[in-house]
Amino acid sequence: MPFRLLKFALSKEHPEPRMFQSRDRLKSSYDAVIIGGGGHGLAAAYYLSRDYDMSNIAVIEKGYIGSGNTGRNTTIIRSNYLTPEGVKFYDESVRLWQDLSQDFDLNLFYSTRGHFTLAHTDSALRTMRWRAEVNKHFGIDSEVVSPDDIQSACPPMNLACGGHAPVLGALYHAPGSIARHDAVAWGYGRGADQRGVEIHQQTEVLGITVQSGRVTGVDTNRGHVSTPKVLCAVAGFTPRILDMVGLRSPLYIHPLQALVSEPMKPWLDPIIVSGSLHVYVSQTARGELVMGASLDPYELHSTRSTFDFAEGLAAHMLELFPFLSHVKIVRQWAGLADMTPDFAPIMGKTPIEGFYLDSGWGTWGFKATPVAGKTMAHTVACDRNHDLIQEFSLSRFKDYQLVGEKGAASVGH
Amino acid sequence: MTGFRVSPICDAMRLAQRATSEKMAKPSSEESLIATEREINQMRFAQGNSSGHSTTLGITDLSFLTRFGVKGAAAAAWLHAQNLPIPDAPNRWLPLRGGGLIARLGFNEFLIEDSINSSIAPQLIELSQHPPAKVYPVLRQDAAIALGGSLILDLLAQTCSLHFRALNLSECPVVLTTMVGVNVTIIPGEIYRIWCDGTYGVYLWQTLLNIIEEMQGGAVEFEQLLPL
Amino acid sequence: MKLITCPINGTRPVSEFVYGGELRLISDPQALDDQTWAEQVFYRNGAPGIKKEWWCHVPSNTWFIAERNTATDETLNTYLYGEEDSR
Ligand SMILES: Cc1cc2nc3c(=O)[nH]c(=O)nc-3n(C[C@H](O)[C@H](O)[C@H](O)COP(=O)(O)OP(=O)(O)OC[C@H]3O[C@@H](n4cnc5c(N)ncnc54)[C@H](O)[C@@H]3O)c2cc1C
Repeated sequence: MPFRLLKFALSKEHPEPRMFQSRDRLKSSYDAVIIGGGGHGLAAAYYLSRDYDMSNIAVIEKGYIGSGNTGRNTTIIRSNYLTPEGVKFYDESVRLWQDLSQDFDLNLFYSTRGHFTLAHTDSALRTMRWRAEVNKHFGIDSEVVSPDDIQSACPPMNLACGGHAPVLGALYHAPGSIARHDAVAWGYGRGADQRGVEIHQQTEVLGITVQSGRVTGVDTNRGHVSTPKVLCAVAGFTPRILDMVGLRSPLYIHPLQALVSEPMKPWLDPIIVSGSLHVYVSQTARGELVMGASLDPYELHSTRSTFDFAEGLAAHMLELFPFLSHVKIVRQWAGLADMTPDFAPIMGKTPIEGFYLDSGWGTWGFKATPVAGKTMAHTVACDRNHDLIQEFSLSRFKDYQLVGEKGAASVGH
Repeated sequence: MTGFRVSPICDAMRLAQRATSEKMAKPSSEESLIATEREINQMRFAQGNSSGHSTTLGITDLSFLTRFGVKGAAAAAWLHAQNLPIPDAPNRWLPLRGGGLIARLGFNEFLIEDSINSSIAPQLIELSQHPPAKVYPVLRQDAAIALGGSLILDLLAQTCSLHFRALNLSECPVVLTTMVGVNVTIIPGEIYRIWCDGTYGVYLWQTLLNIIEEMQGGAVEFEQLLPL
Repeated sequence: MKLITCPINGTRPVSEFVYGGELRLISDPQALDDQTWAEQVFYRNGAPGIKKEWWCHVPSNTWFIAERNTATDETLNTYLYGEEDSR
């Protein structure tokens, strides 16, 4: 190593550049407090400071930024959803994603691969046709393709699936992409920090003070801060925060697990999802296969991994790609998915003045990070739900106005 | 009863046979590899005749035995009225006079199966055409298997999560568990009896037979593993 | 391997069971207005805690109640519905 470089490592004048500043203490009051330093909370902070001139904001994170589902997800980005509300919303997100690396001046490894959702049954194929029609109506690139098309996009796939569940076709979504998840958190965090937002890691919200139906502040393990506006963006921890303000919701928490293989030479370009086999897979720039399956079968607030998951996933993956039988799994983990009965998010204003919710992101919220940040920033700044999220409010359940996204979100994430 | 039924396992045997004869360039004179088809109780079934294997590990199809299922709050009393012995707790079984067995699968559910010589189940099916209140006949279309041989506990250790060695066989236990992912009813003993939903028959048979062959066992004629 | 004890069939791996959700007492739908009924249908007790839940041992189709800590995944007690006191 050239000695010339060493002086930078040792000198106090050239500290290692940080993505954002760390602050010693909380101020006594902020214009808004964002609970949760995941992608969603940081994106909201970023757009509040950039587009609404609000920078007296604290993002409060109990661990480190991106330590929640943002840093645990399998990074599939797509907009081929089932309902008009969903399609419009996720399409806006995909648009935002495409410029994000420029915006941040940070490489997010945003990589457009094409996304195949395989159909192994006639009924699955019918749902695909329906999705394709809804998608096309809103101008989204989405079509049903034949087994031959799938085979030529992915030659190693065994379409017969051992005879048990042969592939009959797929929904193909050309804009389907993957990105580097922690860079998303850092990019938004750095952008917000540069505009004056304070990011407080290792700080946990323990209570929220509400007076005559209005938010007045939050209690943390580092003291109380007063604020008229609180945005709750804590994914799997949302029910605990809602208990602090006495709100009820349909959210339920199940773990979602994922794993990666050892790195291989690139052989898999597209993202492959199979609802019937309950698996999905993509290959990262590093060559690892990122694989996931469906939600764990029961409520749990713990990020433990299970052998049952790895075994079931491997069994199904080998039906599609028998040649993977000698490939090793190198890491396995879980996140806490905040699930809703209709597989759509719960966003916007709540019956408590100044308390805003960005939740119900379950297994599908990474792709929504930019648009959720943007629409929540609008909602918090203007105290009015953004047009794109009107249908996602908590009140939809009491109004019996559900947004049925299950057909497009349950395994595909 | 007219016509005949086919054992839910028959297809597995036919597939295996086809694979074997394809593998051999020309039809072999070694008849022992070829399964034979038979018919008992109006059910067609196939069986292996690798006769020597039952001492290490043998498997056979017993789906053709006649059987009867019943459940309901009054099922026990009704069976008692038909002169059948009633196991006193769930997950216990008893032999029947004249052959066959009765297994208690829960507080209110029973499985009755004949031996090769008895015919209680068809009589019960007949009698239950007009059942009294709270007695509900259950259609049993099981794949029924018997396993025998010295390596049986090793096979079970590979395919079930239950510790069979720890069971006290003098209590006549019935075990409801999963085997290679399939819900099964097992009666352990000298010979192990296994029942599962017929639709899983081919999968269960093929999977077990694969493991059994790895352990130098094979499919045998049912006479070698005939239950009481 | 995660184990659960079925009151009838004994201790088995969790793969032999399915989860049936928290035990909830549903009020008479006729006696409720639409809003309260919607709460009953949709709203859940989503925060972690010790909960009474429905579980089913699938091979025997035995439904029973498990008291489970949903933060740590420890099952504290299992019994047939209505037989809590007899234990
Ligand atoms: C295995 C897995 C795979 C997934 N795959 C995909 C996918 O392919 N595509 C997709 O679009 N989505 C996917 N998702 C979903 C996606 O990851 C999430 O919906 C999304 O990342 C949620 O982001 P968030 O910022 O809202 O939450 P998080 O990133 O979870 O951030 C919430 C933060 O709040 C903090 N917090 C919680 N409570 C407190 C408190 N009291 N005080 C202070 N801080 C607190 C937490 O520490 C955490 O950092 C997946 C999820 C998982 C688990």
